[in-house]
Amino acid sequence: MQEKYVAGVDVGSTTAKAIILDMDRNIVGKSLQNVSPKVAEDAETAFLKACQDAGIDREKVVLITGTGYGRLKVRFGQLIVTEISCHAKGAQFIFPKTRLTLDIGGQDTKAIRLGENGEIIDFSMNDKCSAGTGRFLDVCADALGFSVSDLGPISEKSRRPVKITSTCTVFAETEVSNQLARGRKPEDIVNGLHYSIAERSISLMRRVGIVDEITFTGGVSRNTGMVRALEDKLGRKINVSPLSQWFGAIGAALFALEELEKGSDPKFMPMEVKQ
Amino acid sequence: MENIVAVKEEDLQYAGAARKMQRQLVRDFYRQDVTKPVVYLFVGGNPAELLRALGFQVYMPEITALTMAIRHQSLQYILKAESIGYGLDVCGYVKTDIGLTHLSGGETDMGKIPRPDLLVCNYSGCSVYAKWWEALAEFYKVPLIMLDIPYHRFNDPQKEDLEYIIGQLREMVEKIEKLFDLTFDMNRLKDVLAYSRKAEDGWGRSFEMAKHVPSPIDAYFESIFYMFPINALRGTKEAAEFYDLLNRELDERVKHGIGPVENEEFRTVIEGVPPYPGYRSFWNMFKKWNAVSVAATYPKVGGMFDIPELRHDPAKPWESIARYSIFSYCNLSWDFRRETIKRYLEDFKADALVIHGIKSCRSFTAGQGDLRDYVINELGYPALYVESDHQDPRYWAEAQILNRVDAFFEALRMKR
Repeated sequence: MQEKYVAGVDVGSTTAKAIILDMDRNIVGKSLQNVSPKVAEDAETAFLKACQDAGIDREKVVLITGTGYGRLKVRFGQLIVTEISCHAKGAQFIFPKTRLTLDIGGQDTKAIRLGENGEIIDFSMNDKCSAGTGRFLDVCADALGFSVSDLGPISEKSRRPVKITSTCTVFAETEVSNQLARGRKPEDIVNGLHYSIAERSISLMRRVGIVDEITFTGGVSRNTGMVRALEDKLGRKINVSPLSQWFGAIGAALFALEELEKGSDPKFMPMEVKQ
Repeated sequence: MENIVAVKEEDLQYAGAARKMQRQLVRDFYRQDVTKPVVYLFVGGNPAELLRALGFQVYMPEITALTMAIRHQSLQYILKAESIGYGLDVCGYVKTDIGLTHLSGGETDMGKIPRPDLLVCNYSGCSVYAKWWEALAEFYKVPLIMLDIPYHRFNDPQKEDLEYIIGQLREMVEKIEKLFDLTFDMNRLKDVLAYSRKAEDGWGRSFEMAKHVPSPIDAYFESIFYMFPINALRGTKEAAEFYDLLNRELDERVKHGIGPVENEEFRTVIEGVPPYPGYRSFWNMFKKWNAVSVAATYPKVGGMFDIPELRHDPAKPWESIARYSIFSYCNLSWDFRRETIKRYLEDFKADALVIHGIKSCRSFTAGQGDLRDYVINELGYPALYVESDHQDPRYWAEAQILNRVDAFFEALRMKR
């Protein structure tokens, strides 16, 4: 039998992620690529890097699904599915008992309620601004002179988290400067930021109903301080995986695989077959 | 009509006729000469018939504002209003109107919007409306008459409510007669009311047509065009004739089994004021999924004419005008609005509810989150909430809204 693979390419507002799956649903390759104004090129680069990571030629990938805000830029793909469906599918693939997914990405936050068979029951997203999303944390980290990957470990040192009420990305720097000027410790500010985002995210989750198990996805799920704040506020454990950032791409690749299993011929599949 | 499916041209006598006539009515309206005193009214529940009978030319700044927004011209006027101190959160209708008429002299590419000689604030349930008309009265130094319309507390308005409104309407007529040296003529009012009733019957019938499967009309995106005659021209012969033509066109569509999309796949009920700055794009998001709106609340914002009992009536002139004024959509209780949505979902065989909330009007939007919960949890229908604004393009985030709409229909399709 000919060796075949499928791919999912998740082009978000700040990064592009690609996943290669074999026909047995094993993840054989992945990549992460920063997004520039040349979104189409970045999408393809992410895909090629994932092929390289899997050690396969791109021709072996017979079906590709594009997802994320840049999904229409995955022009080398054949399927288009929104990241809401893909994140949910990816989360349930890694954690099969997932019934609620919280995805905090670069510019938006989504709470997605799932049924037993992976069907989306309801979803809710943040308002049309990037308040309290990954971008907000990026700006705050910059203002404090930290790298975003430092935020989790730094917040662990906090004893008295600062109460932060404004999570507006535009005013993030002035909010941080104001807290520093008032003599607050950086670790308490960072911890306060995490709690503030956690409260905002939980409010979004309440709109669709908070049920176990909860899986946290998206770039911000790599932040251990954020995970701790969410678990503390929710009063329960949440699923996090080292692959959380790729859940959208994993879901996308799974949609591609399911289409193949249905017997669709990729050569004749319209790009927007899902739409 | 936007998308007529493959039917031989010669078989269709009325294809696009209603839209063509509506465009002509809009053009004629904005190009008409001003030969009579001008009154500004609000759309919802207004006493236009009384003002027409008294000899006024009736204008509704909300309609002018939304016409500017759909033509992508509202922002320049909003910015002008903000430059004299109107805040970001103030209603987009107010800022577009004040920026256009008071600050720019009312000149538009459609024609000139005349200055008012009289302002009648016919709905005070929205406090922004009252302040808007007060501002206009100050700008133009013209008389302002403000009516106090009781809230719609009961499905059937109480006798005391109607008497309270009728008393105010009679007083208003007396004041206008004195102010403008005019004489009120009851026979003239009855003629105007007869035209209103005829238009309302026709408009009401067009709503019912969407019960057909496939629906011959998009009861939100398309009906919004057909609102112009009922709201801007109600009480005129032209409006009455328009709905005759619309129904002939819809009958023809039903006969040939044609609708606004080629293969109707989803039937939605839509609640909320449209995102006029992104109106075409928003419509395309639904067309792409073969989704048709089969019922909507917004086209009834001027009056709930899907209720056969709610009609202007030459036999009961004062009472029918008073009753109509209570049934302005924003004046309806949430019980009534919830029941209306439930009725639409069930009677029109809908698959889902879509709510479009607007940032600069809390009067319309407050409670829509609860409505969403009610529809999902108690009625068991899927519901989508998206938000932008009816006037201000700065709130129109296309990629974000598209993402929500796509994900919603994607989930509906995957469930099938």
